[in-house]
Amino acid sequence: MRREEILERMKGVMEEAATEPIDWSKVDESSSLEGLGFDSLAILDVLYGVEQEFELEVDAEEVTDVETLGELLTALEERIEP
Amino acid sequence: MVTALGFDEEAVWSALMRGETGIRAVTAFDVSQLPCRVAAQVDDAELEDAVSALGRLPGDRATDMALVAAARALHQAGLATAQARAGAATILGTGMGPAHTFFEAYESYYDKGPRGLRPTTVPRAMYNALSAQVSMVFGLTGPNYVLVSACASATNALGDAFRRIRDGHLEVALCGGAESFLNPLFFAVWNRLGVLSKGADPERACRPFDQARDGTVVGEGAAVLVLEELGRARERGARVRGEILGYGESSDAGHLTRPSVDGQSIALRGALAEAEVEPADLDYVNAHGTATRWNDTAECASLRQVMGPAADRVPVGSTKSYFGHTLGASGAIETALTLVALERGMAPANRCLEDPDPECAVRLVGAAAEPIGGSLAMKNSFGFGGGNAVLIVHRSES
Repeated sequence: MRREEILERMKGVMEEAATEPIDWSKVDESSSLEGLGFDSLAILDVLYGVEQEFELEVDAEEVTDVETLGELLTALEERIEP
Repeated sequence: MVTALGFDEEAVWSALMRGETGIRAVTAFDVSQLPCRVAAQVDDAELEDAVSALGRLPGDRATDMALVAAARALHQAGLATAQARAGAATILGTGMGPAHTFFEAYESYYDKGPRGLRPTTVPRAMYNALSAQVSMVFGLTGPNYVLVSACASATNALGDAFRRIRDGHLEVALCGGAESFLNPLFFAVWNRLGVLSKGADPERACRPFDQARDGTVVGEGAAVLVLEELGRARERGARVRGEILGYGESSDAGHLTRPSVDGQSIALRGALAEAEVEPADLDYVNAHGTATRWNDTAECASLRQVMGPAADRVPVGSTKSYFGHTLGASGAIETALTLVALERGMAPANRCLEDPDPECAVRLVGAAAEPIGGSLAMKNSFGFGGGNAVLIVHRSES
């Protein structure tokens, strides 16, 4: 799956998990997840959304090093079948 | 407030004076197998817009209603700055809590198993999520908690806040209630209890005190009031809408769902005594008035027992025919409306009261709104579980 397609689907996932609207025009791959409003608790809902959207199993421990949106996309690319 | 008749006080009051009800046919999910098919539902778009105006995305619906009601209360009370809000308590009542979050979790679990459960179900579904979110969003650093006593919840919350302020433990509190549970599961369990009206006509399904009534109609909504130490409120030039003068509470200690005249009477007497008000001094009673046979007859007997001859004079009305029975939020919505009624000197009609039940032997407001002669009112809330909560409120002179 192309990275652009993953990003598009991730926007829906992240909006579902967010409590405040996300202005995507100000977001790029270097944006930190915490800066987007996803603290350690909210990131659990992002991973839940990833599981539902991409039919994957991702545990929080597997992505503890992920801090930015780009790093999250890379982690997903590695797990999603081409 | 957040109600099936709208969120704006003026709009809600106008609807009440026109005798409009917020009760409608339930169309959001299949109710064809249920005996009751009507409820008082909050408008989805109005709620979404109000949540969006807070800079937030929709979350649990009951929590969203609490947030919207709290924002309006803070605005109206002029508590705009972090300094003014510091130390404010958040004390909310609810009966069913974040019921939509629970229902989503049940659905996900039975569909997908444990892995289908949202990891944040616990912090979303805990009942105190309602007060916690309000305290977090508005920076209220006093205690926050949720009080659960079924249909008496919000009145208990107001009563507790009143006493904590009076006794010097708090200066200001946001208190009230929120309730939203109209989903297939929770609407069905209320149907199964057998207390809901089978009337197909939403206009006439909920008729408190009428001989032909056949049950209550449930609803969703929220209301939040700002309670503040009177001297502090006046000092900062706040618009004081009214005062709580007394609070009475009791338990029937009898039956889970059948009310007790003796139990209710203890709460009625307690509120009057604390307020140092005689029954004859009351100008209006906003009744619990659910339109079930058990409730209405017991409540009227309690009022008669406590008020004596004054029960022939003081008008008694229920506003549940407008908003449905919003359970743990009802006491807050109805207390707010009682204060508005005192301000405007009008008691909302007992909608569709055509043939008063002779067992409801008190002076009932008729099927048209009528003037209120003074400034003192009583607000009753009686919950399943036998919890009774009664407030005496006074219109502010300012």
